[in-house]
Amino acid sequence: MSAFGLLNPAGAIALALLVALMALHLWQRPRRTIPVTTLFLWARLPSAPPERRRFRPTALFWLRLAAAAMLIAGLVRPYVEREAAPLDTRSLLLVLDVSASMQTRERGGTRFEIARQRAADALGTLTPNDSVMVVTADNHTHILERWTSDHTRVRRRLETIGPLDTPTNLTPALTLALSEAEARPATRVVVLTDVPLEETGMAPDALASVDYVQIGTTDDNVAIASVTIDVPPFRDAAPTSATVVVRNYAARSHRVVLGAHIDGEAWGWHTLTLEPHAAEHVTLVDPPRDGVLVLELDAKDALAVDNRAVAWVSRGAPLDLLLVSDSRTLTATFAEVVAAIVGSKVEIMSREEYERGEPAGRRVALFDGFVPTRVPPAVNALYVAPPPGSAVCPSAEIIGEAAVIDWVDHPTLSGLRDLQAIVTERTSQLGTPTWGSAIIHAAANGQSFPFLIAGERGSRRLACLAGDLAGPLASSDRLPLLMLTLNVLRWLTEPYDGAPRVIETGVAALAGPGPRAPVAGPDQGTGLLVIGDPPVFLARRAGVYRVGPAGGARRVLANFLDDRESDIGRHQTTIQLAESPMAPARAPAKPREVGWWLYLLGAGFLIAEWATWRRLGGEA
Amino acid sequence: MSRLEELLDLDVLRHYDRLALHVRRGMGDRPGDRRFPGRPQASGTEVESYASYTPGDDVRHLDWNALGRLDTLLVRRFTAEREVPIHLLIDCSASMSLPAPDRKHELAVELAMAIGYLGLSSNDAVQVVLLTTRGAHASPVFRQRPGAVELARFLAEATAEGALDLGSVLVDYAGGRSAPGVVVVLSDFMTEVAALAPGVTALRSVKHEVHLVQIVGPGELDPTRDFASGVLRDVESGATHAVQLTAATVAQYETQLAEHFAAVSDLATSAGAGYVRATSDVAVADIVTGDLARLGMVRRR
Repeated sequence: MSAFGLLNPAGAIALALLVALMALHLWQRPRRTIPVTTLFLWARLPSAPPERRRFRPTALFWLRLAAAAMLIAGLVRPYVEREAAPLDTRSLLLVLDVSASMQTRERGGTRFEIARQRAADALGTLTPNDSVMVVTADNHTHILERWTSDHTRVRRRLETIGPLDTPTNLTPALTLALSEAEARPATRVVVLTDVPLEETGMAPDALASVDYVQIGTTDDNVAIASVTIDVPPFRDAAPTSATVVVRNYAARSHRVVLGAHIDGEAWGWHTLTLEPHAAEHVTLVDPPRDGVLVLELDAKDALAVDNRAVAWVSRGAPLDLLLVSDSRTLTATFAEVVAAIVGSKVEIMSREEYERGEPAGRRVALFDGFVPTRVPPAVNALYVAPPPGSAVCPSAEIIGEAAVIDWVDHPTLSGLRDLQAIVTERTSQLGTPTWGSAIIHAAANGQSFPFLIAGERGSRRLACLAGDLAGPLASSDRLPLLMLTLNVLRWLTEPYDGAPRVIETGVAALAGPGPRAPVAGPDQGTGLLVIGDPPVFLARRAGVYRVGPAGGARRVLANFLDDRESDIGRHQTTIQLAESPMAPARAPAKPREVGWWLYLLGAGFLIAEWATWRRLGGEA
Repeated sequence: MSRLEELLDLDVLRHYDRLALHVRRGMGDRPGDRRFPGRPQASGTEVESYASYTPGDDVRHLDWNALGRLDTLLVRRFTAEREVPIHLLIDCSASMSLPAPDRKHELAVELAMAIGYLGLSSNDAVQVVLLTTRGAHASPVFRQRPGAVELARFLAEATAEGALDLGSVLVDYAGGRSAPGVVVVLSDFMTEVAALAPGVTALRSVKHEVHLVQIVGPGELDPTRDFASGVLRDVESGATHAVQLTAATVAQYETQLAEHFAAVSDLATSAGAGYVRATSDVAVADIVTGDLARLGMVRRR
């Protein structure tokens, strides 16, 4: 099959030249003089007015017309595109699901092992010259092997990988595979996953050209669906509790035992009978100690990764606050708040009093409207509405009303919702210091800026709050700002050392300052990545990690808690083959431009025209 | 290949080695190879007749046997052996260059070369005369076959240009030559026959054997080949005439042309001249061995 096209269709405008040529011919024709040997023979014939004669193209006119037509045809740059001959090589693109659900045990092994075997089978159908590309997909997409014909290497790489403890997001991987298949003719795409085709997020039509193999039949899974540690703020005497939700995803009832340990010390055992597709709540109270809580289900189900969860259990610390403010309203508000919290203390002083002599013995200090040059050692600090010129909390200027527009997940915001309700009348336009990161962003005068900055500096926690706390905080309009302030104070009150970060697998979380390596934990520490700038934690394996050198390491608790991923139930293994089988690859068709041949032909016509003109005696 | 090399092409000239010009009139003054029976002369190689001795006759030619038997002094008379002056008159007017693709002038030059070569081969005296707008431009007289080189060189310089009154030029040329010979006029004769007739008559009046070779181009026979309409301009006079070639006008033209050819032929017949019409798309050798042979101008040796 051949295709024709024009590379420069605009050149067809030059066709007007043909009209001009015809007009020129008609204009010239009446004036054309033909020399003859003698006229006496012609003189006896009647003379005809030239302008009345019909259009009678001569050989010269046809030659000129042909030359012009060829030159114009060359100008539009026509090309012929012929389909190239089939090549000997084909391409295979494997998309392998490595999410947590692929760890599910089936009759022939885990789902991942079945998928890997099918991948090996697909590799076996290739000839040595065929190319292979392998893409793995959990909630991120990774290219395991770029296009290669080294099938042995691909097989070896497939043997080295396994499913992770992360959720599934197949859409990016499928999009990548389809785009590769489009760019590389005759590519067979084989998707090996346990996600039903209709849940991939792709249109079924888009996947019509791929071999989609959905693996798995069992739904036999019981999982820890969620863990919530409830620590009443500023109350060390009140009991800390943990609420665990255990869900049965199977179509049969399960009898399971939930065990809880804190740093190896048993907290309790609970036997649960779970009806099909039912959930049970277990509340654990009165922890024996502070530490890492490990929850384990003895379920004997098909998927083990969601039978274990970790959390951090600590008692609440009382509010021991140093409030430095010249605002009577603010000091009165905090006096009332502290009076309402059993065991809490607040020491209130003016800025002048603070600068005369630094008090000691407090856990946290709140500086209202100023940033002192010195802060008592081992005291965490919250700077409220810091004025411009501060090195600790850099701010550009004091502006008017500002509203919260965005925030990120951070312990300072634990338990808070609807932060967009926070509006302040007098706000410091904060910048981002090197020691912390912006937790909340606000906007005013058409631009956004950090509203709350939190971080660690010099073995102490610091926070900068842009909003001014002046005015009655206990009013309903300003209550969200008071709650935010108290939440920040709670975070500042927590012991700096020992509190681990609790994250979810597959979800990036800001790492904050602190050591980034080495990492110890599941898979020799490779289950947790500390990457990026600013650095983030990205866990691929659930478990407890230690990041940093011995003695100064910080702990990271990674949980796999994904309701959708734990719901492993599938009706049957489904195989959808591509609607069109893999055809032999063809080299990309190259357009062959024929314009130069037309130019050559046009030149030939011009020469012929010149020769004819000479032959006719150079007549006009 | 240059024009000179074309004219001296041995492959072409070789065709003429076994041919000769047949001359009926026009005996020259100088001795030659061509015998003229009935024109006895005092010396020669072949006895033609006897005459009574008169004082002054060469005694070497007395027939002593006749004197012994008849007791009469008889002198042997010999067949005249003379050269023939061959005049090749070429029309070099501009009309011979049209229609340009037909190469009428070139054909005329090549025909002159062929006839001249035949004459030189017969040890005749050959002279080329170019009839130009400035008058007759005559070449030296060439003799013997080696003279063909000079003949060709002279012919190679000939060009066709300018206007020419052919009849007047022929009259002038006839008046300037007394020795009769063979005159071959190579022209398209595209002029009124009335204007041409005095020239032909003048040539015949001085005892020349005259041959008119009319050279026409295919474009003249079929004007539709080169144009469909336009303003015709006489290349020599500059006169113009607008024409549209329709079937009717073409038929009229062909009639006019045929009448003109017939008139030239009639002129030649009435003047006792030979006439042949050659088309320029025919090879020279074919004209020589065909048309000229049928005319009786050329025959085998």
